Amino acid sequence: MKSYFLSDQNLTAFVEGLMSKYPVIAPVAKRSRFVFDTLVDVSELRLDYDTTILPPKKVFFPAKQDLIHFDKDGFTSAIDPKEQVLLGAHPHDIKGIAMSDIFYSDRQYDNNYMANRKATIIIGCSVQNHYKHAFFGTMNANRPLTGHDLFMTKIEGGYAVDALSEKGEALIALGTFTDAGDAQVAAATEVNKKAEENCPEKLNGTAEEIREKVRSSFDSPVWEECAEKCFSCGSCNIVCCTCYCFDVQDEWNVDGASGTRFRLWDACLTTEFSEVTSPGGSENFREERAERYRHRFMRKAAYLNEQLGGPACTGCGRCSGACTADIANPATVINKILEQ
Amino acid sequence: MAKVKCAWFDFASCEGCQIELTNFGEPFVELLEHVEPVEFREAMSEKTTGPIDVAFIEGSFTREADRRRLEEIRERAGVVVAYGACATCGGINALKNHQSDYAEEVYGEDAKRPHLDSQKALPVSAAIKVDYEIPGCPMDKAEFIRVVEQLVHGTSKVYIPSYPVCVECKRNETVCRYDDGGHCLGPIALAGCGAPCPAAGIPCEACRGMVNKPNQAAMELVLKENGNLPERWAKDMTRMFTANFRGDA
Repeated sequence: MKSYFLSDQNLTAFVEGLMSKYPVIAPVAKRSRFVFDTLVDVSELRLDYDTTILPPKKVFFPAKQDLIHFDKDGFTSAIDPKEQVLLGAHPHDIKGIAMSDIFYSDRQYDNNYMANRKATIIIGCSVQNHYKHAFFGTMNANRPLTGHDLFMTKIEGGYAVDALSEKGEALIALGTFTDAGDAQVAAATEVNKKAEENCPEKLNGTAEEIREKVRSSFDSPVWEECAEKCFSCGSCNIVCCTCYCFDVQDEWNVDGASGTRFRLWDACLTTEFSEVTSPGGSENFREERAERYRHRFMRKAAYLNEQLGGPACTGCGRCSGACTADIANPATVINKILEQ
Repeated sequence: MAKVKCAWFDFASCEGCQIELTNFGEPFVELLEHVEPVEFREAMSEKTTGPIDVAFIEGSFTREADRRRLEEIRERAGVVVAYGACATCGGINALKNHQSDYAEEVYGEDAKRPHLDSQKALPVSAAIKVDYEIPGCPMDKAEFIRVVEQLVHGTSKVYIPSYPVCVECKRNETVCRYDDGGHCLGPIALAGCGAPCPAAGIPCEACRGMVNKPNQAAMELVLKENGNLPERWAKDMTRMFTANFRGDA
């Protein structure tokens, strides 16, 4: 790994250099929030963002993704990866991407996701402003940060930039960088440590404690209590950086012979997620909203915790913010269970 | 393959859904290769009395006198599709279902005149068996085409989402109305429209009806606490399109 320094004055030229070679997807403002979007003008870039409505997963796997196009003679794959740069992913979002990579490649290799993922160069950036629900400093904090190509930390006068892969190293030529001094490297380490320490919300317990306690709380009344105000609206699922379930549908053209098969992000909080056809109609294996509410926590904190070695959560706080009834906050709910 | 004979009928409504179809342009014209309209008041003057393959019914059932006409349509139609908010859930007409407070106020001494005597506005399914419903005010053109395409080509199951509008807003990465200091019925409103209203900064009024088992108590609380609506507005918000879904319906 090599460390560079990019001055504030040279940031614009570097990003324009990236934009001249690749589509650059980065945080930009949208009304009162931020979203990852393709940069049209470098002035839109907001590396000081707190969080985005949707996680950067959408860059590889959009909320609606075409899978195949078909007609009466057969079908063609819709996989068409384009080289692109994801700029400005926060460390916890990079961990979220690393978790998604496991879900889409470990047991079942999902080329519709992985082809786009491999074609994406990831440039991370430090957290300059905290989202009010963030607790990444105490959720998977020790999980190694991997899968990205460059990482930029905001320090005095500019950015300390770590080149973490060959692809990342190659981007250095697109801007005016100097070698980072020891003081700049140390300052960057301190900035990222402080960002974790200053999270507005805190989660208690180790990965193992969370796994055991949440699993053994299956019959606890806590789920019924928490779900009382739940809308089963699925917002917590859709904004989650580790949710990976999808629904596959066919869209037929009017000719009745051709069309497109696509997939949509799905949400286990909604009733139709757990509805299956059965003889004479359908049945739902998680009929009550408290069961669906519990299922989300079981998946994140217990079941996937076993596969990942930590909860399938990055502490980004998006679900807490997206929940209008304010009952989705994992830090609040898990802390409550740990105290039982 | 013979074209599918289709007729459009309207009851208590603004006929806006018919207009919406005529606005559709190319895909609707393409659909005409597969369907033959035999009655369509907003676009043709011919009428039909014979058997029809598919009857599209717009408007709510709100006068007992309309029951016979609905039954007659049902008898000669192979498939009945109720389309638009009025036909699928009573729609905006159902505002009047909560009528104790306005008749005298609005009509004065005319309040008891016979032409004002109508029953509650109900969906078409309250009078006859309906095979498919396409909700929305106006109904969604793309969804209409999808349902008709599936009917024409013989797919038995027509999929309409059962989740709320929040799912579509999040997929669209629309800024939540509540994050923008507004209010919205999205958490209990049936999706499928693609959530264009919140994307344009307008609160969802649940024109497609409510989801199954909506958490109406939580909605009232959120409208009040997060949406800063006065108590009475929070309580009455769902009368606009979803009066028939309310606990007091």
